[in-house]
Amino acid sequence: MSPNADFLGRDVVSARDFKRDQFEQVIQGVEDLEKRRGSLDGALKGKLAALLFFEPSTRTYSSFQIAAEKLGMRVSGFAGPTGSSITKGETLHDTLRMFEGYGADVFVIRHSKMGAARFAAEISDTPVISAGDGSREHPTQAMVDLYAIRKAFGRVDGLKVGMLGDLRYGRTSSSLAYALSNFDVDITFIAPDALQMRPEVTQLLKQRGVTAKKESALKNVAGELDVLYVTRIQKERIPDPTEYEKVKGMYEVNLEALREAKPSLKVLHPLPRVDELSTDIDDTNYAQYFVQAAGGLPLRMVLLNLILGGVG
Amino acid sequence: MPEAGSERMLVSRIEEGTVIDHIPDWRADTVSRVLRLDKLARMQADVSVVILQNVASKHLGRKDIIKIDRWHVDEKDADILCLVFPDITVNYIDEGKVSKYIPKVPDAIEGRIRCPELNCISNTEREPVTPRFATLKKERLLQCHYCDALLAFDSVPEHVRS
Repeated sequence: MSPNADFLGRDVVSARDFKRDQFEQVIQGVEDLEKRRGSLDGALKGKLAALLFFEPSTRTYSSFQIAAEKLGMRVSGFAGPTGSSITKGETLHDTLRMFEGYGADVFVIRHSKMGAARFAAEISDTPVISAGDGSREHPTQAMVDLYAIRKAFGRVDGLKVGMLGDLRYGRTSSSLAYALSNFDVDITFIAPDALQMRPEVTQLLKQRGVTAKKESALKNVAGELDVLYVTRIQKERIPDPTEYEKVKGMYEVNLEALREAKPSLKVLHPLPRVDELSTDIDDTNYAQYFVQAAGGLPLRMVLLNLILGGVG
Repeated sequence: MPEAGSERMLVSRIEEGTVIDHIPDWRADTVSRVLRLDKLARMQADVSVVILQNVASKHLGRKDIIKIDRWHVDEKDADILCLVFPDITVNYIDEGKVSKYIPKVPDAIEGRIRCPELNCISNTEREPVTPRFATLKKERLLQCHYCDALLAFDSVPEHVRS
């Protein structure tokens, strides 16, 4: 069987859809690429990536753009709704159809609506990779997060992972929780009630027999954790502005908050950060978020290459 | 002689149509909402709907019944009713002959229910997308095919599409 068999032509719309060995295959691909830098350069020469970002993005758009270009692909699309036909009211459906007509080999889509990526995958025969849909999911970020965890510990099994911050509206934490449900981990969701993890996520974890508990304050569990995954409070996703004012700043992670932490603790953050992660962590052994961020580009190269069946 | 307050005393048989029986007492309004009977009665000039409430019942003590003259309720709609009222039965009447349908919890529901998540792509007006749900029978939940949001069976009536 081809090593790409699980990925060839595949959509990446939810971390729920991937099994442990598939996550491991992607991460292994990144680790191989680190050993053999440049080995995927030009692997997808002549193919076209359509990056359709209906919601503005800098980092994710850039990492997909550079990943595609390093693979030798041509890149088309838009990095946000401004200046695109979206502002004229064009639908996701019509935009996809148009880019299909232009010969796109893969779609990378970010959209403000939850489930937009699955809908896109249904209406198009071209593989769709979600770059985030509303507050639902960001599956490639979860792959990056797993990579950063394995890089720090050499494994994922046996770890106690805390996820802190805006778990309800943060799409990266739900995808990471789905990804972690394939491993033998203990998860603690640390958030105020209003921002606790959504029921569909906890429901799936329960179905898969994953130990997951909820806490309202980091101090209750800081000393137990191997990994602390910190997320930004998503101001733009909280419908009530007074709710935002209430919770912002409540969950700042700094050296004082980590006083009880294990020396081996690793702090992850999908970035960008606002107030929730102090820069006083940056130069400590806790900081794993810059390693995590650096993993975004090679991981997206590996994933595109697996899906489009490139050489290398 | 029919028992006082019984169905037979209150309304005569229909020759063509649907009788929805074993509705818990005083819940006929919910059934009416799920089946969108108000809309049906407006659109179908010759359709009559009779709602009987708090009728004597051997099995339930008291129950509601809905009789729809000259209209057959879709089995898929009856199955949605069964999410909320597992004991209901549906009798189809054709030329006076009765055939019973026992609604069952479906594996999937398409097009009839709105996703509870307002920001779901299936609630976007201009996209050609049909809401779809899988049923998690043990948990008595529906799960949106697109955004994964959960909806309790008991909350389904509030999310029936108009």
